[in-house]
Amino acid sequence: MLGDIITPDLFASAFRMATPLALAAIGGTICERSGVVNIALEGIMLVGAFAGVAVTLAFGSPWLGVVAAVLAGVAIAAIHAFTSINLRSDQVVSGTAINILALGLTGFLMEIMYGHPGTTEAIITIKPVFRFATERGSGTFFGVIWNWFNTIVLSHTPIVYGAIIIAVVAQWAMYNTRWGLHLRALGEHPRAVDTVGVSVVRGRWIAVLMSGALAGLAGANLTLEQVGSFTENMTNGRGFIALAANIFGRWTPVGSYSASLLFGFFDALQIKLQIFRGEINIPPQFFLMMPYVLTVVVLAGVVGRAVGPAAVGKPYKKG
Amino acid sequence: MDSKRIKIISVVLALMLLVAFVPGCAAKTDETPADSGTETPEVTIKAAMVTDVGGLGDKSFNDGAYSGLQRAESELGVEIKVLESKEITDYESNIDQLANAGYSPIFAVGFLMTDTVAKMAVDFPDTQFGGVDEWFETVPANVVGLNFKEEEGSYLAGVVAGLATKDSFDSKLNKDNVIGFVGGMDIPLIQKFEAGFIAGAKSVNPDVKVISLYAGNFTDQAKGKELGYSLIEQKADVIYAAAGQVGLGTVEACKDKGALFIGVDVDQYETVANSGDVMLTSMIKRVDNAVFETIKAVVDGTFPGGTIQVFGLAEEGVGLAPFHDFETKIPQAIKDAVEKARTDITAGTITVPTAP
Repeated sequence: MLGDIITPDLFASAFRMATPLALAAIGGTICERSGVVNIALEGIMLVGAFAGVAVTLAFGSPWLGVVAAVLAGVAIAAIHAFTSINLRSDQVVSGTAINILALGLTGFLMEIMYGHPGTTEAIITIKPVFRFATERGSGTFFGVIWNWFNTIVLSHTPIVYGAIIIAVVAQWAMYNTRWGLHLRALGEHPRAVDTVGVSVVRGRWIAVLMSGALAGLAGANLTLEQVGSFTENMTNGRGFIALAANIFGRWTPVGSYSASLLFGFFDALQIKLQIFRGEINIPPQFFLMMPYVLTVVVLAGVVGRAVGPAAVGKPYKKG
Repeated sequence: MDSKRIKIISVVLALMLLVAFVPGCAAKTDETPADSGTETPEVTIKAAMVTDVGGLGDKSFNDGAYSGLQRAESELGVEIKVLESKEITDYESNIDQLANAGYSPIFAVGFLMTDTVAKMAVDFPDTQFGGVDEWFETVPANVVGLNFKEEEGSYLAGVVAGLATKDSFDSKLNKDNVIGFVGGMDIPLIQKFEAGFIAGAKSVNPDVKVISLYAGNFTDQAKGKELGYSLIEQKADVIYAAAGQVGLGTVEACKDKGALFIGVDVDQYETVANSGDVMLTSMIKRVDNAVFETIKAVVDGTFPGGTIQVFGLAEEGVGLAPFHDFETKIPQAIKDAVEKARTDITAGTITVPTAP
């Protein structure tokens, strides 16, 4: 029975399900590190998912769809940047408004472009990077190792690998570059950044737009790599779980990725455990609530201290 | 930035948000009257429906109810209107709006609206209501509950799957005797599908292993794909999904890893593009027939208010879609078994369970 739960696909599935969460979570990390709360990740992801499918349907190339998803994410994030940085409005209100806007806008555009709400036509999805034979002498020890390695490591689509690379590069950049230093300072003490002659507005704008690009890419992963069509509200709260992953990962890119991977693993485990309903009676809902429970545990300070950037959520006014 | 510009921009942003609500409130009306060569009824009947949150375009029961309404428009000359619910909180205001505008009968599509219909039936005693998938403890005199024996249609799907997994008419079928079921939410309505499917499969293949997985919702396609992958990893080669849009993700998994799929509610061969090589058949639920028949009853003055109408195989309320691309590949023995099961259920010799 354990062999049916702990399978190569359990771990491969965890990576697949972690990817949209992780990309949005890293976006949230960068945004919050600059001092801007971004609860609009859910809406941005949804718009990115829609733009990706719409452009792929129009031009037949899912790669063009990925570009469109990223650009659409940036465009929606620009609204958030403008209201929260330039207009200095409440960032939570702005983010909530964008989430509602995204839900309505995608439904509205579907009605205009395809004449019906609901689900779009199917597109050709982006295929995995490598395609090796799945079974290769599974009787031998080496064969078993190969099958595990092939399924867990080599079975994925490009954005799944991309998310890991982005996490590592963002982590490095945040702690080893001038941009990273400025970014962290923006969220802790924006006035200090201003005093040394670096523009707070410009720095925060770049961070918010980057989070938009990453959340848009998360949407592209959902529609262009995983599902192959767009359905209204298909993000299903992933943007909010991503926010939780950002906190659980203590506002670092690699932390965000690891937290997303853990959440993805719980989700994958939940599916495998359902196979043995009647024998193992853990309700699936137990695992669905794990991300939130863990986040509350971390916020409550049970596992070390989790403190966000000092200036997060506070609009900056020069002078 | 001066305050005037800020004001203008704020107004523009506020307007954009208003636009966001438009689809939620937008009404679908089709005012064009039926091509009348026949005489028009003296009093025009105004029939309307309120969709569930899936909305029109769900390629499932909301669309089914709408096509029943459209058929009533063209064949019976009734005026029709659709209001879409984007949130559960829209149900009451949508029904209220239609009832106040004089629409009757009003169809509330989806079991989630049961309580709302019961409440509104009291507020509008002169309006007739049709509750699709709704079951009332005591049915108000102006309400008819329209229900389906999903378990009967699913039984036929189970017969097909149970025999197909033993067969080898398609390269996607393996030697392991395993089939899968994907459900949306783990609720009695969906359990009817599961129970019928399992009973049908076991009736022709007692040793078959049926694995059931639930997504926990009806919209998360990515989850549906993962559920499909997990079933295929467990060697399932025929998968039946009663899970709304979640099933669309499961179709993708079947295409990707090579398994056959049985669709639900409508003939999904027609509604899911490029799925011909995995779409074995579909369990269809004729919501359109139920809606049309009810409107016809209203037109004829025989509205069966205060009753629960149940549409099973005998009433052609549920059934199996054609095999399409598999029509020639499928052995005659499977088709015969389906026909036998159909006759037995209609004749009452088989009673299909409603809970697994």
